[in-house]
Amino acid sequence: MTQIDDPEQADDALAVPFTPGMRDNPAQLSEYVETIAGEPLPLADVTATPEQELAAEWRNAAYNCFSSGHKFCREVCPVTQVTRNESWTPTAFHANVVAMEQGQLSVADVAADYVNCTQCGACELRCPNTLFTGDFYRFRTRTVDVVKAVRALAVDQGVHQEGWRTWNARTDQLTHEPVLGDTPVSQEHVRDWSAGLDLPIGGPTVLFVDCEAAFYRTSVPRAVAQVLQLAGVEFGLMGEQWCCGGPAAEMGYVEQARRFARHNLDSWRSTGTTRVLVLDPHDYISFTEDYPRYFGEEYADIEVVLVVELLAELLREGRLTPSVPVERTITYHDPCRLNKRKGIWREPREVLRAIPGLTFHDVDRVTQWSYCSGGGGGLPIEKPELTEQIAAGRVDKAAALGVDTLVSACPWSERPLAGAGEAVGIDVVDIHELLALSLGIDVGGTTNGGAP
Amino acid sequence: MTLQVERVDEVVAALRTVLADDQILTSRADRLNRSRVPAPFPVHRWAERMPDLAVLPTSTEQVAGVLRIANDLRVPVVPRDGGTGLTDGAVPLRGGIVVDVKRMNQVKEIDLENRTATVGTGINMLKLNEQLAAHGLIYPDDPASYPCSLVGGRIGTSGWSLIGSRYGHTRDLVLSFDHVLPTGEVLHVGDGIGHKISKSSSGYQLKHLFMGHQGTLGIATEATLKLYPKPEAELSPFWAFDDYDAAYRCVGALARAGVATFAGAVLFDEWKVAYLRRDDEAYIPQPRDVRALVCAVLYGYEDEVRVGGKRLFRIARDHGARYLGDEISEGDWAARHDRYATPLHGRTKDGQVVPMSWHCEDAAVNYTRVPAVSRAWHEIVADLRRKTDVFDDWGMFAYTSADTGVDYLTEIDVGIWEQQLDDRAWGLWVRAKRDIAAAALAHDGSISACHGSCREGEVDLVPYELGRGFDVMLDVKRAVDPNNIMNPGKYLLDRAYPAEEAP
Repeated sequence: MTQIDDPEQADDALAVPFTPGMRDNPAQLSEYVETIAGEPLPLADVTATPEQELAAEWRNAAYNCFSSGHKFCREVCPVTQVTRNESWTPTAFHANVVAMEQGQLSVADVAADYVNCTQCGACELRCPNTLFTGDFYRFRTRTVDVVKAVRALAVDQGVHQEGWRTWNARTDQLTHEPVLGDTPVSQEHVRDWSAGLDLPIGGPTVLFVDCEAAFYRTSVPRAVAQVLQLAGVEFGLMGEQWCCGGPAAEMGYVEQARRFARHNLDSWRSTGTTRVLVLDPHDYISFTEDYPRYFGEEYADIEVVLVVELLAELLREGRLTPSVPVERTITYHDPCRLNKRKGIWREPREVLRAIPGLTFHDVDRVTQWSYCSGGGGGLPIEKPELTEQIAAGRVDKAAALGVDTLVSACPWSERPLAGAGEAVGIDVVDIHELLALSLGIDVGGTTNGGAP
Repeated sequence: MTLQVERVDEVVAALRTVLADDQILTSRADRLNRSRVPAPFPVHRWAERMPDLAVLPTSTEQVAGVLRIANDLRVPVVPRDGGTGLTDGAVPLRGGIVVDVKRMNQVKEIDLENRTATVGTGINMLKLNEQLAAHGLIYPDDPASYPCSLVGGRIGTSGWSLIGSRYGHTRDLVLSFDHVLPTGEVLHVGDGIGHKISKSSSGYQLKHLFMGHQGTLGIATEATLKLYPKPEAELSPFWAFDDYDAAYRCVGALARAGVATFAGAVLFDEWKVAYLRRDDEAYIPQPRDVRALVCAVLYGYEDEVRVGGKRLFRIARDHGARYLGDEISEGDWAARHDRYATPLHGRTKDGQVVPMSWHCEDAAVNYTRVPAVSRAWHEIVADLRRKTDVFDDWGMFAYTSADTGVDYLTEIDVGIWEQQLDDRAWGLWVRAKRDIAAAALAHDGSISACHGSCREGEVDLVPYELGRGFDVMLDVKRAVDPNNIMNPGKYLLDRAYPAEEAP
């Protein structure tokens, strides 16, 4: 039988409360003889597997999650919300790294599980480690990077997801993502969206147009270009624009991603470009996170400007004055990569509040941590049925507000949201399109990949 | 202990008669990710806790079908809801089938007149409250895991709520539920047979029996819950004290005051405040004479909270309390689910940062015994630290459990450096847990107010705690689960069966 009486109270430095690491702590604290802890336990095998090499890089990040075990990320994760499958949660994505370190799992065992992530970043924000040690340690849980690392390892080990392999192979061939629409995806047609707008090529500032907007929802770049022209902003189009490479990086095709990035940077150099306007949040991530990692100092003089932030500034300065009332009842969808990944949520609201005629039922940005269109991270390519469910859930939230229009600021979200919106009679409109309308611009282009 | 491959195939084939293929998960990653919870876990022996497969049913009928098959084939079944428990009820000890109820998360009915909601047990309380907010209502079951734990897990563990002093705990808030017995039969348990009856004296009171069993008596699938008006006002003052004794006297007086809107009070001891000074922006700047804290929380209409709050402030002042101000008070309480335990706060004795997992050991202790239990527990953890930096003392909380201040959920938070866990460290820990439970019993407490007491170490003392009652537990277990398929190995319930019959 174990002790039942009060233990004897010891009389040493550990018998009283103290805060480790304080300068005036008793010297005795460093005199206890350690009987267990040493260096981190050795890896299961001396000849490390690729999985263990990955784990060596990510072990502390993985343990920070594994050890926490709070799982507050779960109910905000768009995929978890619709699948309710614990294997497809941010927690599992970290725990698997611990299991790989132990030699319990190979990347082939888990590669397909890591498909189930839109890389929206909600889990990182909702993580207590981010919330309550973020300011002090400048710490942020990095689930998105863990997911990207495991996907990259899978590709490196020849473990492919068939849909992604094909998608990236075709992207490699076409230099653009094979988005489906009437405009053929190819280098000759990447500027077709700008027909009649008389935009120059190259120059110090260029507008970068993502594949979805350039070939499928051409109303978005047309709106952006015409609004910028109206405000007197000088810009051109890229000499030879390729896909930003971000989607390949997200799906694990690292070499291809870097090759595409190299091409784009070289193209900017060849046209004397140092300022890139970006209308798509996914590109914005590529240019502000991936490219600096790839190129370091070489990239330091490139300025990346998010169009919606620029528009808010132009409105503030009075260089744009929306005057045509847009009689719609709207709510705004915070694109994950702006709100959750970049903390950009004020400017889109500023733009919307400047548009006359709108009735705006806003939902705060924190509530929207758990919202997503399902359009990111390659999910729609491998699991379109999940994207559909996630988008339907997002549109239902809008419908509950009694709105007729859901406004987004991300072309990649607009296709799944529009599909879901049709079912409940909610129109999905891009914020740039809406602003152009209130500036009296006849936008043109197409919102559904059809003929303009 | 796991099944032979051929047996797994046999079980899967049988399960396909009640479930679709995508509801049956057999991959190694699926199993590894359903073999652990945040409770102390021997991560170096993770694989020993793996189930053979997991299923994701969507209805009571499917759960019943799975249990019928498991009972016929004599395969262990472990229910899993949120998997957020601080005891290891959801951790399989003998392989078998994990029944993961997360897909049963529908709201079936909101009855505005009778103030009830009927839900699948896979729903999370925060998500439920998002829906109830549209009606101005709330389901006030508020554990530390509020953003992620599920109604079914709350039933299986008979959970404890931070604001239970005002609204009651899970056992009070769950009116009734559908429950699948280990044989696959379905019964409805509540007060009497009613779905929405809060007080019946008809027959045995079975509701309590089928709550808190840690999955050893079956699986709850659909529950009817009591709803309250969403409170108009919240007041959550935090007060500082020069020493523990003053804070202790104050928390007792606050709890005994009988203020109707009082929803709970929390005592932070000197170790907890020292822990918070490691890197907590709210507490580092506090003067050194802040050594203990008390927080109280009140909910209700604004007029009643205002008056009740004035009374509590008066009591606090009379006990030498210093109010920490609105910002800390509102912020800390709002952040209560996230704030106090993060791996990055782990430290070796000389201050090196190491990622540590949070382990919370709890007991139910009478007010008059809280200081003695606290002293004993800190000494147990100090003794671990004399041997190794694998363990770290993160201080203690004592929370009121009831509106009269009779007893407290007393918890000590222990950091464990899991990357350094080995059999020696795990052995030390299991012994420490047993000692922690023993100290609570020595002071006329109960091993757990909140988590359950079926983990390695503490579970050894359950027969001592319950006495003859433990034999009744064995009799009930044998009667309800003749083949010991439900969560075998937990709570020493194998003792209910002749040795050779245990699967």
